Amino acid sequence: MDFLTLTRRNLWRHPLRTTLTCGAIAMAVFLVCTLRSLVTTLDNSAVASRNERLWVQSAVSLFVSLPQSYQAKIEAIDGVDLVCKWQWFGGIYIEPKNFFGQFAVDPEKALSLYPELTVTEGSKEAFLGSRQMVLVGQGLVDRFGWKLGDKVPIMGTIFPHPDGADTPWEFEIAAIYQSSKPNVDNQMFLFHWDYFAETVETASGTAPDVGTYVVRTHPASDQSAIMREIDTMFENGPQRVQATTESEFQAQFVSMYGNVGFFVSAIGGAVLLAILLAALNTMLMSAREQTRDVGILKALGFSDGRLFAYMLGQSFALCLVGGAIGVSLALLLEKGISKAFAAMLPNYAVIPQTIVLAVGITFVIGLLAGILPALRARAILPVTALSDR
Amino acid sequence: MWIPFSYALRGLWQRKSTTFLAVFGLGTVVAILAGVLALQQGFEKLYSEHGRADLFVFLRPGATGEGDSSFPLVKAQTLIKSVPEIATDDKGRPLASMECYLAVRRFKVEGGETNVPIRGVQETTFDLRGPDVTIQEGRRFKPGADEVIVGRSLLGRIRNCQLGATIWINTTPFQVVGVLDSEGPFASEIWGDFNRMADALHREDPNRVIAQLQPGVDAKAFALKMETHPEVPAKVQTEREYLSSQTRALSSTLKVLAAMLGAIMGIAAVFTATNTMLSALAARTREVGTLLSIGFRPIAVFLSFLIESLLLGLLGGIVGCLLVLPIDGIRTGTMNFDTFTEVAFAFRITPEVLISAVSFALLLGLLGGAWPAWRACRLLPTEALRRR
Repeated sequence: MDFLTLTRRNLWRHPLRTTLTCGAIAMAVFLVCTLRSLVTTLDNSAVASRNERLWVQSAVSLFVSLPQSYQAKIEAIDGVDLVCKWQWFGGIYIEPKNFFGQFAVDPEKALSLYPELTVTEGSKEAFLGSRQMVLVGQGLVDRFGWKLGDKVPIMGTIFPHPDGADTPWEFEIAAIYQSSKPNVDNQMFLFHWDYFAETVETASGTAPDVGTYVVRTHPASDQSAIMREIDTMFENGPQRVQATTESEFQAQFVSMYGNVGFFVSAIGGAVLLAILLAALNTMLMSAREQTRDVGILKALGFSDGRLFAYMLGQSFALCLVGGAIGVSLALLLEKGISKAFAAMLPNYAVIPQTIVLAVGITFVIGLLAGILPALRARAILPVTALSDR
Repeated sequence: MWIPFSYALRGLWQRKSTTFLAVFGLGTVVAILAGVLALQQGFEKLYSEHGRADLFVFLRPGATGEGDSSFPLVKAQTLIKSVPEIATDDKGRPLASMECYLAVRRFKVEGGETNVPIRGVQETTFDLRGPDVTIQEGRRFKPGADEVIVGRSLLGRIRNCQLGATIWINTTPFQVVGVLDSEGPFASEIWGDFNRMADALHREDPNRVIAQLQPGVDAKAFALKMETHPEVPAKVQTEREYLSSQTRALSSTLKVLAAMLGAIMGIAAVFTATNTMLSALAARTREVGTLLSIGFRPIAVFLSFLIESLLLGLLGGIVGCLLVLPIDGIRTGTMNFDTFTEVAFAFRITPEVLISAVSFALLLGLLGGAWPAWRACRLLPTEALRRR
């Protein structure tokens, strides 16, 4: 009988106990993978953004907009290629939990600004064609089951409709995009600035300001110089601005989440401790029952080292099977979890590093849970072991 | 006849190392749940316990918070002067104050950015607040001056908040002249003179009005009346109601998180408890056989094992509570999703947290013990006695 068969038979001596322990380890590893993925998804939204895009926003507050006149002034700066308005709309689709970002943009400029957006259904022309048309991300289509030509009503909370706060704004889906980069949100809802501005003006009597401007620079230009120039240009008001690269702009929102990373790591650590104790408990129980077996094997001439490895092997086998189930569970449920977190955290994904981490953790737990029984198995004298009942 | 309670207790004691590991495993799971709940409690109580029931908040009808509420200046002034239910001081001046509010971008000392609420208040605010808002250091800002006082919790967390520093708001420099102390969420805010703030922010309209009402005014009827007021319609709530409404998003997120962690780790913990009880049964099969053969009924055996498992759960619950107790009072800061600003508060191990933790632990013990207890009471005495 070889080593592996012996390990399997011994673990299977108590099928229920082994299954339950494996199950417990699987649940914990699944949880650690999922928590870790939430953090990496949050962090990843801030990296690897395209560099030629700059974001210009109020230096005072996220809730303060900039005058429309700033657009022409920024366009006049040397090295600036294109300036697009980007206005957060903040409306509600049917109910507040269907949260996603709607933006009023200069449609043609937005498309040229974001080559990462590939129109997969409908066409750019249809989107540009008339004022109420929108371009929506595949992520939203999956979430709400929309199709081309659907009319989408959105309640304006910040910007009420001229016919009263109970009347929704009407949009028509003209095109659907797929984002080719993980850092570009596939759940955006882009519509025409002109439609937005005219409707707001009808409702409130004044033309709206602009939340943010997205600026594209010439590839050869000095970006930091351009950012400085934009900041200096409006230093004396009426609204001071801050120009940042796209990745900094996104990192700023991630940093506003504050201690999330720390909380999640603390929880993850506690989960691992709990599961280490469970694995250790099982290994100690199982080792105690095998004391006589160890004695017999030793009497038959198996070396101390062999028995050490054999005991440790059981622990590894137990933990690795549990870990494998946990990782598989995390991967299988990736889509579902992604859907559940769609509103708060688009683009949820389990990255390969997380899987490597999980496997590493499982190894360490296997080692820690098995080392004590393994050392005992190595040290025990055959005669002592055999007299154990 | 019932099996004495001490039998279950001795069962746990006999197998110390297994019991110890199982109790600590359960304790850790319970501690995770309790820790998240302590965070939720700390956050929610900061708002709900420090809002006053005798102070009223007036918002634009339909607004969900002061961030998206706004009154035209003239209307707010009319409201304060003309609504007879608003209380007056001994000189006949209305006990009401206009406030402007904006979440401004600030840099954290440790790096990165966050949003800090900035509040422009009128002098009456301090009369309305009384001892709830005090000056811990320095002095109050002078009316009409470019001066601010900063909340105690911002010191050391947000750059340029120490006494004497200069805070820029858009293009206007404000000098920090005092440190504001308050038990509630104001300790995370920056306060200045209403007119100066409105000027610096280019927003002349106040976001809200706060006021005390004349004694004897029925708050509910008054709120209803103000909803449809012909001149100055407003949404009226007590400050306590208002502040509680500003905690929903984060509070429910944390509760969902606690439930999710509890469910997933709970399954793992139930498996562990089952294992522990199964091994207890295996070690005592002969004993169980003896008990059954001398006339103890199966139900007595079932209950005895279940009690042992519940005890295991209870011990786990106690250990979990002890493990989580040291975090009580630790200060932390997090983003309030409702206001989109960062707020500082402390973890709070409230009775609710402890009760949830212990009940959760007992539930784990119950679920984990059910199957082994069932197995124990179904044993055939003859077979059980034959086992070694």
